[in-house]
Amino acid sequence: MIDAHLLTSGIIFGLSLGSIFFLMTVGLSLCFGLMRIISLDQLLYYSLGAYVTYSISHATSYVWLGVLAGAVVGGLAAFAVERLLYRRIYERDITFSMITSFGMLIAGIGAIKYIWGLTPRPVSVPITAEVDILGTLVPIYRLVIIGAAFVVYAGIWLFLNRTMVGKAIRAGIENVEHVEGLGINVYRLFAVTFIIAGTLSALAGGLYAPLIMVDPQMGLDVLAFAFMVVIIGGLGSIKGTFVSAFLVGQVVSLGSLAYAPLAQMAPFAIMLVVLLVKPTGLYGSPLLKR
Amino acid sequence: MIQTSALSIRKLDKSYQGLRATRGVDLEVAPGERRLIIGPNGAGKTTLFNLIAGEIRPDTGSVALFGREITRLPSHRRVHLGLSRTYQIITLFPRDTLLRNVMLSLLGLSPLRWNPLLRLDRQRPLVERAERALARVGLAHMKHRPLVETSYGERRRVEIAMALAQNPRLLLLDEPFAGLSVDERREVKALLFAIPRDVTIVMIEHDMDVALDFAERISVMHFGAVAVDGTRAEVVADPRTREIYLGA
Amino acid sequence: MNAFRWWRGLVSAFGLLYLLRLLLPLPFANEVIIFSIYTIGCNFLLGHVGLISFGQPAYLAVGAYATASYLYYFGTNPYVGILMGVAGGLAASLFVGPFFVRLRGDYFALVNLALAVIVFYLTQNVLVAITHGDNGLLIVDRLSRTPVLDLSRPNQFFIFALLIAFAVWAFYKYLDDSIYGACCLAAKINENKLRFLGYDDRGIRLLAFVIANTTTALAGAMYAVYLGFVSPEITSPARAADPLVVTILGGVGTLYGPIVGAVVYTGMMDLASKFMSNWELIIGIVLVFVMLAGEKGIWGTLEPRLKRALLSPAAGSRPIKGASR
Repeated sequence: MIDAHLLTSGIIFGLSLGSIFFLMTVGLSLCFGLMRIISLDQLLYYSLGAYVTYSISHATSYVWLGVLAGAVVGGLAAFAVERLLYRRIYERDITFSMITSFGMLIAGIGAIKYIWGLTPRPVSVPITAEVDILGTLVPIYRLVIIGAAFVVYAGIWLFLNRTMVGKAIRAGIENVEHVEGLGINVYRLFAVTFIIAGTLSALAGGLYAPLIMVDPQMGLDVLAFAFMVVIIGGLGSIKGTFVSAFLVGQVVSLGSLAYAPLAQMAPFAIMLVVLLVKPTGLYGSPLLKR
Repeated sequence: MIQTSALSIRKLDKSYQGLRATRGVDLEVAPGERRLIIGPNGAGKTTLFNLIAGEIRPDTGSVALFGREITRLPSHRRVHLGLSRTYQIITLFPRDTLLRNVMLSLLGLSPLRWNPLLRLDRQRPLVERAERALARVGLAHMKHRPLVETSYGERRRVEIAMALAQNPRLLLLDEPFAGLSVDERREVKALLFAIPRDVTIVMIEHDMDVALDFAERISVMHFGAVAVDGTRAEVVADPRTREIYLGA
Repeated sequence: MNAFRWWRGLVSAFGLLYLLRLLLPLPFANEVIIFSIYTIGCNFLLGHVGLISFGQPAYLAVGAYATASYLYYFGTNPYVGILMGVAGGLAASLFVGPFFVRLRGDYFALVNLALAVIVFYLTQNVLVAITHGDNGLLIVDRLSRTPVLDLSRPNQFFIFALLIAFAVWAFYKYLDDSIYGACCLAAKINENKLRFLGYDDRGIRLLAFVIANTTTALAGAMYAVYLGFVSPEITSPARAADPLVVTILGGVGTLYGPIVGAVVYTGMMDLASKFMSNWELIIGIVLVFVMLAGEKGIWGTLEPRLKRALLSPAAGSRPIKGASR
C-alpha cells in the first residue's frame, strides 16, 4: 500500500502542479477561443515571468514584488507582440500563427540566453512555513499557488460573465462577426485578451520559479504538458482547461509515486484515449469549424 | 408483397443544446417517387437532410435506405449504398475543371481512388463516363473550363451531373433552385424532369410554388416535425398548409 | 517523348544537385540532401493534403533510433540498418496514424508537436537502457564495409543519398499525378464534399500520413548512418518547426521547394553559426520573417519565371506547328 503521508503530499503536489498548468495554458486557450490563433509564445511569457521574478527578487529581496513585476512585464511583452506581429496574421490560416509564435518562442529563448546566460538560477521561496494536513506537513506556498489558480479561474469567470468587455469577448468566442456587427472594435478586444493571456502566463512562471530552477529551456520543458492540457480539455474552453490542468497535474504527481519516468508520459496516453472518444477534447465544441 | 420503401424514417429526434431541431420525424418515400419537403425557415428541413446523409447523428430514431438500416453508418458508406446529395450552397472543387470535378465524383465509388500508381489523365473509360455525365446536363462544350469561371447556374448543373454520375438510387436535392435566375431555373427543372424513374428524388424547397409541379407527394415541416403529409392536391388543399405559411 | 519530358525536370534537378557538390563542401551537400528528404513528407502533407505536420522530428527520431539500435545491438550492415529505420517509421505512423487522422487540423498540429516532445523525452529519460540518454548511440565504427557503395565514406554516401533522393522525388512526382494524389488534393480543398462523393477522407489522410512519415523516417535512418551517431538532439523541440519552415521557405506543395528550401536554410544556419553561438535567436527570427514574407516561397516564386524563360522560344513555335497539322 502507498503510504498515506506520501499520498497526501502527492495530491497537494499534483494540485499545485495543476494550478501552474492552468495558469500557463489558460492564455493559450483564451487566444484560441477568441482569435482562432495558436499562441505558442505564451510559454515565452511564462519563462519571462520567471526570469523577471528572479531578477527583481535578487535586487530587492521581495519575491512577491518580483512575481508582480513578472506578470506586468509578461503583459507588456504580450501587448507589444500583439501590436507588432499578430495584427498581421489574424486573417491568415492557423498554420501561420502557430509557426510564427513558435518562432517567437525560440527567438525569445535565444534572447533570454543572451540576457541571463545559460546557468539555471534559483529563486527563494517567499513562504517557508508548513501546515499540518491530515498529519502530513504541507508547504504553505504550494497552497498559495493552488489558491491563486482558483482565484484566477473565478476572476476570469466573473470577468467574462459580469463585465461588458468580458461579455463581448464571450460573444466573440461564439461568433466574431456578430460582435463586429454590434459596432465593437474587435481588434481592441483581441488586444485585451492577449494582454490577459500574457499576464497570466507570466504569473504562472513567477509563481513556479521558487519551486524550480529558472533556466532558458523552461518554456520548452513544459511545452508538451501545455499542449496536452489544452487538447485534453478542448481548445478554447476555459472550463476544459481548468479541469484537464488538474487532471494532468494529478496524473503526473501520483504517477511519479509509482514510477517517475513514465509518469511524465501518462498524460500522453490519457490524451490519446480522450481524443479517441472525443476528437475535440473533453469540453471542446465540435461546432467550432476552422 | 409490400415493396420496401426507398427511404424510411422513424421517430427521428435531434437536439442542439436543448433546442430540438427535429422532433419525432416520420417519413416514407416509395421507390421512384418525387417527394418535396417544404416548410418555413428553421423548420428543420436541412437538419433532416443532414441526418439522412449522415453528416450528423440523431439522438434517437432510425433511418433506412431501401430496407437497410443506416442510422449509424458513416456518410461516405451511405454514398456507396446509392445515396447522393446536392447542397443549398454549392461547394465543389473550384480550381479544377468541370471534367475533373465529375471525375472525382466517379472515383468516389471506384476502388481506383486508392491507387497511387495509375495516372489520372490516362484513365480513358473514366474520362468518357465523365464526359457523358457532363453531356447529360448540357455542359460538354465547356468541360475543360475551371469551375471558378462558370456561372452559378452552370455550377448547379455540374453539381447535379456529379450526383447523377454516381448512378444513385436516392437523390437528395437541397434547394436546387436557390439563387438561380428564371431561365436557369427552367433549365434545371427540365434536367430534373429528365431523370429516369429508377432514381428516387427527395427535394427541399423553402418556397412552395417553385417546385410544385415537380412533386408528387409533399411533406410540410413545421417546428421540427412533419405537420402535413400527402399527395400534392391533398397538401395544397389542407388548411394547415396555409396556416403554416401565412401564420408563421 | 511524353515520358522523356516527364523525366527531364527530375534528371536535370538532380544533375544540378550533383554539380552543387563540386562547388560546396561535401558535408554540406550531404546534409542538404538528407534535409530535403526530411522535408518532402511535410511538404506533401501541407501542400497536397492540407495537414500541418508539426511533429516531423518524432518520425525522424524513430527512423534514426531504429537504424542506430539495429547497428549498435544487432548487425553491422548499414543498408539493413536503413531498412530497419524505414520499417520503424512505418510501424510508428501506422500506430499513431489512426488516432491522429481523426483530428481537426489545429488539434492534429498540436498533437503531433506534443508527440515530438514526448519522443524527445522518451529517448532522453525513459528508454535510457536502449538509447543511452544524452550520450547517444555511437555507431560510426560499427558500420561494415559494403561492396559497390560504401556508406562509411562520405563521398560514396553522397552518391547513395543522391540516388535515394532521386527515387523519392520520382515517387512523389508520380504520386502528385496519380489518382490517389488527385484525391488527396481534393481532400485538402473540400473535404466535406469529398465525403459525400463516397470517399473515406480519414482513410485518404491515413495513407498520406503513413507515406509522408515513412519518408521522414528514411531521412532519419540516413542521418544515423551518415553521422554515425544518434542522440536526443535529433528530435530537439527547439527544431520541431524546421521541416515546416523549409517547406514554406521553398514553396508549399511545389516539387523542388524542399530542395531549394533545404539549400537556403542549411546555408543560412551554417553561416549564422559561424558568427553567433546563439542559434535559437537566429532560427526564431528567420522563422518569423519567413512566415511574414509571403506564401509562395522561393521556388514557388521562381518556378513560373524559370518556365517562362526556358519555354518561351518553344511556346512561340507551337502555334505554327498546330497550324501545319
